[in-house]
Amino acid sequence: MDCAVALTPQAADMPASPPPLLEVRDFSLRRGQAVVLDGVNLALHPGETLGLIGESGAGKSTLALALIGLLRAPEVQLQGSLRFRGTELTQLREADYRRLRGNKIGLIFQDATAALNPCFTVGEQIAEPLKRHLGLSKWDRRDRAAALMQSVGIPEPRLRLDAYPHELSGGMQQRVMIAVALACNPELLLADEPTSALDVTIQAQIMELILDRVRALNSSAVFVLHDLALGAQVCDRIAVMYAGQIVEEGPSDRVLAAPLHPYTRGLKSCVVELGSRMLEPIPGQVPPLNAMPAGCRFAPRCPKAKAICSEQRPLAEIHDGRQVACWFID
Amino acid sequence: MQQPIFSLLDVERTYELRASGWLNRTPRQLKALDGVRLDLQRGDTLALVGESGSGKSTLIRLMLGLEPASDGRVLYGQRDLAQLDAEERKRFAREVAFIYQNARGSMNPRMRIADILAEPIRLHRLCEESAIAPRVVALLDRVGLPAGLLQRFPSELSGGQIRRVAIARALAAEPQVIMADESVAGLDVSVQAQVLNLLRDLCRESGITLVFITHDLGVASYLCEKIAVLYLGRIVEQGPTDAILNTPRHPYTRALLQAFPRFDAPLKASLSGEIPSPVDLPKGCRFAGRCAQVQAACRETDPALTALDADRQVACLFPVAAI
Repeated sequence: MDCAVALTPQAADMPASPPPLLEVRDFSLRRGQAVVLDGVNLALHPGETLGLIGESGAGKSTLALALIGLLRAPEVQLQGSLRFRGTELTQLREADYRRLRGNKIGLIFQDATAALNPCFTVGEQIAEPLKRHLGLSKWDRRDRAAALMQSVGIPEPRLRLDAYPHELSGGMQQRVMIAVALACNPELLLADEPTSALDVTIQAQIMELILDRVRALNSSAVFVLHDLALGAQVCDRIAVMYAGQIVEEGPSDRVLAAPLHPYTRGLKSCVVELGSRMLEPIPGQVPPLNAMPAGCRFAPRCPKAKAICSEQRPLAEIHDGRQVACWFID
Repeated sequence: MQQPIFSLLDVERTYELRASGWLNRTPRQLKALDGVRLDLQRGDTLALVGESGSGKSTLIRLMLGLEPASDGRVLYGQRDLAQLDAEERKRFAREVAFIYQNARGSMNPRMRIADILAEPIRLHRLCEESAIAPRVVALLDRVGLPAGLLQRFPSELSGGQIRRVAIARALAAEPQVIMADESVAGLDVSVQAQVLNLLRDLCRESGITLVFITHDLGVASYLCEKIAVLYLGRIVEQGPTDAILNTPRHPYTRALLQAFPRFDAPLKASLSGEIPSPVDLPKGCRFAGRCAQVQAACRETDPALTALDADRQVACLFPVAAI
């Protein structure tokens, strides 16, 4: 069955709309026998922000790493297509990938302390992509690095240029990493749990900063998140992942306000909100990669599962402006 | 009024910092806690909430007697923790259990789960040697884990399972008080919900007094009936959970609530700047540098924690009006 064509809602609804910046089609990733990502379909348009949401082991970070070519053959086997500005990424040579990474695609990782090199000053680290991709001279790089630090809200950037990462607080290190990621005005920003190590007040500052910069540069962003409420606040679209598959994807206000997939519903009822009275955990746990159920991967934990669910995998269908992979959508 | 199980009387904890150069010999002081007053009644569930660096963990270390207070007194029942003799200390260790932030790191990686859970029972001689095994199985059952895990090592368990084992170990000595440091941080939402429900049910069923450290106001409000908000070593506001959530009176509490991600409100960076260093504290209110409603008096006078109602206290010269 060819579901891939029907699965890009933009293409179906608005044939005249510009091509997506990023297009993932029937993308699968295997590590030996284990199918880590299975038939992922996504489209991200210029200026949009997308949130990948799910529990650990859902494949969110794997998808992000595959997008930037840090997970490639022969380590893993890729199938399907990843297109960025029309370029097929799965076929790209490493040298060409290096021209994209840090240049057209910026990266923000969860742990800034681990991502920054402790042996170089933050100024040198912000300047590195400027040298490699833009070929700026030493003094231009320094000026530009200071301007970037200013733009991510680091006070007294001229003084901090020569600071080493350990001399800065966790929030400031995160800002430095954002400055590195944005140095070359990327068209796509990938942020893997950019704030989960930070306090809520700093999280709000950093998220506001990322969104602000992304809008100023008219870029798109993909966030890997585990916090649904934060996803609702920062993302235009949400893709809910479970055990390597996207179970529901669409505009964040609709997906999170009125989830259609039982897993999205289950996740939402686990979220602790201010003044929550009752949490209803999803029973059971994510199946291990080497023992995935044959039909719907969520079936063993699903309150609505029937016989067909454990036999046949449900294909994603367009429903109320989103793709949902479930046999029993109300 | 019942006698409180824990009382903190103007507790202070300072750390001496080594002077940076050999010409500069004046030692500097880091004030991790400053004038903390707190009463904990039997059966209370209290959340200590604040950003990193607010002094939450130091406070709990003092309450556990792991560190002495530099000034002020920590009373358990009627007794000063600093003056317990060996026998009393042992009884204290049985009655007050601690669940560490890093559950896996708090267990000996070379001991099996069965031995980890049996250790406190054996140490406090709570039952006959032959009765230990069934007791350990009952403990695992109480935290919703199968007996099949008994022969496993900590490294073989998942993040959710290991937290449950940590809770089971805390329950092993039948404590009256459980203190827990960020026990659900870093878990997936569905697992976090399971562990939170478990903790909540345990406290409700057995009337255990709970002191729970968290930076997550949502978790605090779900688990605890009282909340104390800390900022730079001081309690800036405390009271019943509902009151704190609905009518925060301290600007810092309000900012924390506003920064909490929610489905029905846009993202709001309610606070600028970061928590300042606890070395060389400012003269007036500690929060003045980040406060949106700061006035001239705030930079001069250090507000004390004062009672608003019978059970509500706030340390602010100009508390936010109750709506």
